[in-house]
Amino acid sequence: MKTFAKFLGLAVVLFVAIALAVLCGDYGPWYFAWLVGTTMIILIAVASGVLFDTQLETQKKGS
Amino acid sequence: MPLIDPTVVDLSRLQFALTALYHFLFVPLTLGMTMLLAAMETTYVITSKQVYKDMTQFWGKLFGINFAIGVATGLTMEFEFGTNWSMFSHFVGDVFGTPLAIEGLMAFFMESTFIGLMFFGWDRLSKPAHLAITYLVALASNLSALWILIANGFMQDPEGASFNPDTMRMQFNSFVQLVFSPDAQAKFVHTSIAGFVTGAMFVMGVSAYFLLTNRHKEFAARSIRMAAVFGLISTLAVVTLGDALGRLDDLLQPTKIAAIEGLWHTTTSPSAPWLLAALPNDKTQSNSLEIGIPYVLTPLITHTLDKPIPGLIDLESAAGPKILNGIKAINALQQYSTTHDAASLAMFKQYEDDMGYGFLAQQNAPNQDLNAITPAEMPAVVQQTELDTVPNVFVTFWAFRIMMFLGFYFIALFAFMAYFSLKNQLENNRFLLKLCTISIPAPILACEFGWITAEAGRQPWSVYGWLPTFQAASSHSVGYMVFSLIGFTLLYSLFIAAELYLMFKYARLGPQSHDHAAPVAGTGALPMFAKPGFAAKSWE
Repeated sequence: MKTFAKFLGLAVVLFVAIALAVLCGDYGPWYFAWLVGTTMIILIAVASGVLFDTQLETQKKGS
Repeated sequence: MPLIDPTVVDLSRLQFALTALYHFLFVPLTLGMTMLLAAMETTYVITSKQVYKDMTQFWGKLFGINFAIGVATGLTMEFEFGTNWSMFSHFVGDVFGTPLAIEGLMAFFMESTFIGLMFFGWDRLSKPAHLAITYLVALASNLSALWILIANGFMQDPEGASFNPDTMRMQFNSFVQLVFSPDAQAKFVHTSIAGFVTGAMFVMGVSAYFLLTNRHKEFAARSIRMAAVFGLISTLAVVTLGDALGRLDDLLQPTKIAAIEGLWHTTTSPSAPWLLAALPNDKTQSNSLEIGIPYVLTPLITHTLDKPIPGLIDLESAAGPKILNGIKAINALQQYSTTHDAASLAMFKQYEDDMGYGFLAQQNAPNQDLNAITPAEMPAVVQQTELDTVPNVFVTFWAFRIMMFLGFYFIALFAFMAYFSLKNQLENNRFLLKLCTISIPAPILACEFGWITAEAGRQPWSVYGWLPTFQAASSHSVGYMVFSLIGFTLLYSLFIAAELYLMFKYARLGPQSHDHAAPVAGTGALPMFAKPGFAAKSWE
């Protein structure tokens, strides 16, 4: 039941995301670009933080 | 005696410019810091490393100080529309008030509510729940900017409304058109991401200061890594969006784009130079000391290789027939307001599109009365009004260039910092670290000059093509305006002094969890999140 509820929740999120993409893509291309772009900027910044830790650990192992 | 005192209008403009520019010293940092906090906390949730929680809490504390003072400076501006710009509020209040109300009721309340949870919820919420709250704060602060910029988008490109001659006001036709206006869209994304650049530069600059003073080195290096990458991508996006806004201005506000480029005469060949520098003279309507790059202007502005760009002198001449039509529209409107007859209404409808130019001509008519213009005086009134249709070229030209040059400087600085961070060579580049520290206010300056470009370039209109700025002000006395101007200047200067004092104080203290320093004396009266010991207490 819990798995099914999770599946339903994610399905709703997916539906909202697709509807938002279609509506924004049609009427507000720059708003859509902001939504996608901001998410990408945050995720790339997160990845750069994780990369920093990886580099640090490699450095520590090497020394 | 004229109905509208030009000195009162100038003082109203000065007061609004001062309060808006003061307020916008705080806004970009709020927009950018919330997104950076979201990125830092996401890294904390993914990696479970304490240092990322330290980062979120330390930078969050500085964000909190900025947010509190920024809110205080923003409140007065909404009231200013009623006190100093009552004619503007009467004319477009039905349209303009809607996004402002939504901003207050939706975005600001959302932001204020979740900020409380963000600061005080570290021990009370699960990690994913707190992360969701931080994202909601980031979203809400940017939604707040969205509604303000939708309102501003209407002033730049009045879509979704029309003039009602019975109520003498603009009224809504389409909320969707207002929200999805191309100007509002491009301006929101440009402004929001300029805030990201400001936040990234702030984090990078303060972290560079820690490295220069050999304190919190790991904390600072991580912060620089995230901020440099975040800032580099954001700056590239801001430049791209700036180009989109320029293209829109070329289509919607040709006088603004000509003023930005210092273009007095229509371009006749694709080799027209893009001016790196020049000294535009508004009186002689010419430039001196021009330094330009040939073949750049036409593709930059029109995105074609051969389309001519209209110059200001030609745009002035093109305004002549519109001014004559506008005078006819206003005269018919005045007639209709007293008689309500079909003939006057039909006459008004015929020339309605140029009504704003009639309002503009009013300041050059005898006693500001268009009916009083004799046929002999008409050519002089039209000629003077033609000159009034262009903005101040010197201000617009240089405000744009300072913003743009700073933008390219940021790309270079973020790129170098990202490179040296990836190579783990930050500490060897003390010059670059010093440059980062002194560059902290530069993105805020770029944002201010961006606003000056947008607003000075829109003149002489408060609502482009519909309502001239000089018609939009309230009828206060000069004494009242001077008094309130001095009051605002002193009050806002106090706010800035408080912001700088608190920012310097808590930025210098650094993240407390690394030092475990005792709370600083004399901070008892501060809110909990602003106390230096707060971050340490919350997880010790």
